[in-house]
Amino acid sequence: MTTDDPLSTALAELDALRSEGLSAFETAATPEGVEAARVEFLGQKNGRVKSAQERIKTLDPSARKAYGQRFNAVKGDLESAFEAARVRVERKSDARARVDVTLPGVRPRLGHRHPLTQTAEELIDLFGRIGFEVARGPEVEDVHHNFDALNIPPSHPARDPLDNFYLAVGERTSGVGPIGGDVPMLRSQTSTVQIRVMEARKPPVRVIAIGRVYRPDTVDATHSFMFHQVEGLMVDRGVTMADLKSVLRLFARAYLGRDVTIRFRPSFFPFTEPSVEVDMLWHGGNRWVEMGGAGMVDPNVLRAVGYDPEEVTGFAFGLGIERLCMRRHAIDDIRLLYQNDVRFLRQF
Amino acid sequence: MIVSWNWLTDYLRLDISVEVLTERLTLSGLNLEDFSDVGGDIAIDLEVTSNRADCLGHIGLAREVSVLFEKKICVPNPEPPTSGPPVGSITGVAVEEPTLCPRFTARVVSGVMVGPSPWWMRKRLETIGVRPISNIVDVTNYVMFECGQPLHAYDLDRLNGRRLVVRRARPGEKLTAINNKVYDLTPDMLAIADADRPVGLAGVMGGLDTEIGPGTSNVLIESARFDPISVRRTSRALALFSPSSFRFERPIDPEATEWANRRCAELILQVAGGTLHPGRIDVGAHRPDRPAITLRLGQLARILGIEIDRATVARILTALGLEPAGSDATSLTFRPPSWRSDLEREIDLIEEVARIHGYDHIPEDRAVPLSSTSRGHRERVEGVIRETMIGAGLDEAATFSLVEERLAAPMAPGPSRPSLRVEHSSRRRESALRQSLVPSLLTARQHNEAHGQFDADLFEIANTYAPRSEGVLPDERTRLAFVAGRDFRGLKGIVETLLERLHIAKPLSALPVEVPMLATGRAAELRLGDAILGYMGEIDPAQLESLELREACAATELELDVLLREAVLVAQNRPMPPFPGVVRDLSLVVARDLPWGELEAVVRAAAGPRLEAVDYLDTFEGGNLPEGTQSLHFGMTFRHPERTLTGEEVEAAVKAVVAASEERFGARLRG
Repeated sequence: MTTDDPLSTALAELDALRSEGLSAFETAATPEGVEAARVEFLGQKNGRVKSAQERIKTLDPSARKAYGQRFNAVKGDLESAFEAARVRVERKSDARARVDVTLPGVRPRLGHRHPLTQTAEELIDLFGRIGFEVARGPEVEDVHHNFDALNIPPSHPARDPLDNFYLAVGERTSGVGPIGGDVPMLRSQTSTVQIRVMEARKPPVRVIAIGRVYRPDTVDATHSFMFHQVEGLMVDRGVTMADLKSVLRLFARAYLGRDVTIRFRPSFFPFTEPSVEVDMLWHGGNRWVEMGGAGMVDPNVLRAVGYDPEEVTGFAFGLGIERLCMRRHAIDDIRLLYQNDVRFLRQF
Repeated sequence: MIVSWNWLTDYLRLDISVEVLTERLTLSGLNLEDFSDVGGDIAIDLEVTSNRADCLGHIGLAREVSVLFEKKICVPNPEPPTSGPPVGSITGVAVEEPTLCPRFTARVVSGVMVGPSPWWMRKRLETIGVRPISNIVDVTNYVMFECGQPLHAYDLDRLNGRRLVVRRARPGEKLTAINNKVYDLTPDMLAIADADRPVGLAGVMGGLDTEIGPGTSNVLIESARFDPISVRRTSRALALFSPSSFRFERPIDPEATEWANRRCAELILQVAGGTLHPGRIDVGAHRPDRPAITLRLGQLARILGIEIDRATVARILTALGLEPAGSDATSLTFRPPSWRSDLEREIDLIEEVARIHGYDHIPEDRAVPLSSTSRGHRERVEGVIRETMIGAGLDEAATFSLVEERLAAPMAPGPSRPSLRVEHSSRRRESALRQSLVPSLLTARQHNEAHGQFDADLFEIANTYAPRSEGVLPDERTRLAFVAGRDFRGLKGIVETLLERLHIAKPLSALPVEVPMLATGRAAELRLGDAILGYMGEIDPAQLESLELREACAATELELDVLLREAVLVAQNRPMPPFPGVVRDLSLVVARDLPWGELEAVVRAAAGPRLEAVDYLDTFEGGNLPEGTQSLHFGMTFRHPERTLTGEEVEAAVKAVVAASEERFGARLRG
């Protein structure tokens, strides 16, 4: 076969038709463009495929089979290309199928954990990692757990009814007996839980108590008559103030960041001795911020729960959860924590 | 306690800056509040803890500074000249209540000239915020702020009988104090009286009638000790607080009593002239025992975690004014000075050594012994509860335990006991300990509505407090409560989801109940097995109105203890069924008041062993159904564990269900 063989020429022209047609359908970008390509190639009257079909009649009958087979393949390819192009441009132009991707999403409604809970849970996790288990006790306490066992004697001013919420029990005796009497009260500190834990178990003890405490402070941006404390207690043979400082430093760094340093300032609490205030300083800051109180469990407290202070020693610390929470979340008014305004709650 | 810098320099040289001084004081126990320049002097405001009454005077502070900076301190030893007849011939003091007044000293200066104080004294008092009054009164204040011992000066000529009696006030007695207010006295209160009437409240405030005035010429100086509790009670009972009562409530230096009296006389002579009569009245002049304390040196490391050498320990304690009282190879014994009655035990000495040595010596990088813990059961259950509540679209609230009486009642059927209350003037209205969390949450919902937020669906986990007939402490229970603007089934669905998330196997049952807070016919008691899990329902419209709530809502309150007891935290895998289940739906027409739960029980009993689940789908009423009936539409899933069920088996079970329902409830298939 040579190139001037009429069959070869016709087949070559079919191939050219195929590639031109495919290219026309592929590049057509609009329904109009696709239609134009269809008319040009697949038009029933003057389409080029139609012309190519006509050509078969000009060929020698012996060549017609080969030409016919090739023609059918080309025609099929072009019809598929047309169909693909039609679907492609139709989808593009169909307004119902298009989404405005800049519209906001439809959100599932989820609630929010209170920031105080988030703070408390974080504290439980952090102290849990250094071996402190959660302990609990009642919020309405007897004076034994709130005062006596905490080395706060009957004459101590801390028992003053002006500074505590005692339950109303009709007439209270005055002038005799302990200050404030011996009626139950809302606990003024979570240290009560220390006593309950130590009364119930033998050393070693490593617990934190988290919960509500109550003091009749005048309510303002930084004071609430009800607030939350976390109290830690560790009692064992050989527990020292260096352990206390190390635990608090571990906590401060884990909770607030590696560039936090802490210091102890002497203070006074009846249930610890030595007693200290714990301050912290952020790197780059120039003000020490009070974090809470701490100290070595007073020997009288150990004795009150039946421990031998010559055998074991212990430390205790107490931190205000509101203060930590407010500092962490840039909350400037403690009252926001108890108003339960969902515009506030849904930020956390 | 406000301190004057210039005043301190009377007792020791201060060649340091105020910053260095206050930093060191802060780190040894006297926290700096603030300092400010006051016309050539510096006023330093220090926080003094209640155990350190010795630091409520300039001399005490000077002692502390002398220890910290190793400086010599010079305390005046007043020896005022005397003349004329002895004091005992001019006046007398009788102490009728020696336990409330362990010591009373008095001196008399006659012929004084009352007038303004010299400028230096006025200036010092002004620096520490005390208003100068007259030379005599200023001297008593000056000496109090010098040594911490409060004093009082009487106009001797105005004392009936020219003498004093320390006794309990008599019923009906009144006193006009120097603040011009009249106080009703009671026998609880210790009075200083003359022959006829009270002229002062011991340790709290003097009387107006006998105070020093421009015409005063003969002065009786009182320097005494009073029982701290008695002073405190009197002061609190009358809401009368003074620098004097503040000091007497604390343990003051018993040996300063006599010194202060002498010092006061000396300064009066100096600034107001006159003659001091020889001798003093001194009732109950006993010196309290000051037992020696032994410090075992090994205890320092045992408590503090650091070694401090023997010489340093001895130096610190001696500098603090403790007198050595013996020693052996392993211990030192000291007797504390009179002004440190807070030092009684070995641990007190350990703290003294530690704070002066400095807590910065205590390391903060000790390896804390490991102890393995995992989150407790309760924390984990609470975690699942919070997760579920949040997933249900509820926000967590934190509401106060103390509420108004009307918001304190329990959300439970039956009569309730009156709520417990606290006794405090700051909470006259909100004084009740709540027995339910729901009213607090509804109040929070109202707050939100008032701020334009009508979708405040809230939950809280907190305690409730119920009175108990026996035992001292109330019945305190932690509960989970939630309120939401949804209907009964909306909230019941949250309960069911919660039980599923806690993998609680016991079935939940609900019984209709009447609860005051909840709408009639729309409330239920929830039970898990035999235990009451809690109560729930739609809030009664009258309640909504009284709480000023616009939107309808429902509430649930559950006992945390029951959830804790039943919760399974580690869920177990069950193999997936290998054979397909067959689902059949039925619509049965029954009486309108037939509870689904009763029909369900009959369905379960009748459907045979291959029934796997019954799922309520919906209820239809009206249409072409007969009056007084409803159609309950539900699905049943059947499955055999070992093979595929045949259609005949399922049809037989369905027929049995229909037959049993018909027999029991007259149910018929809905056409």
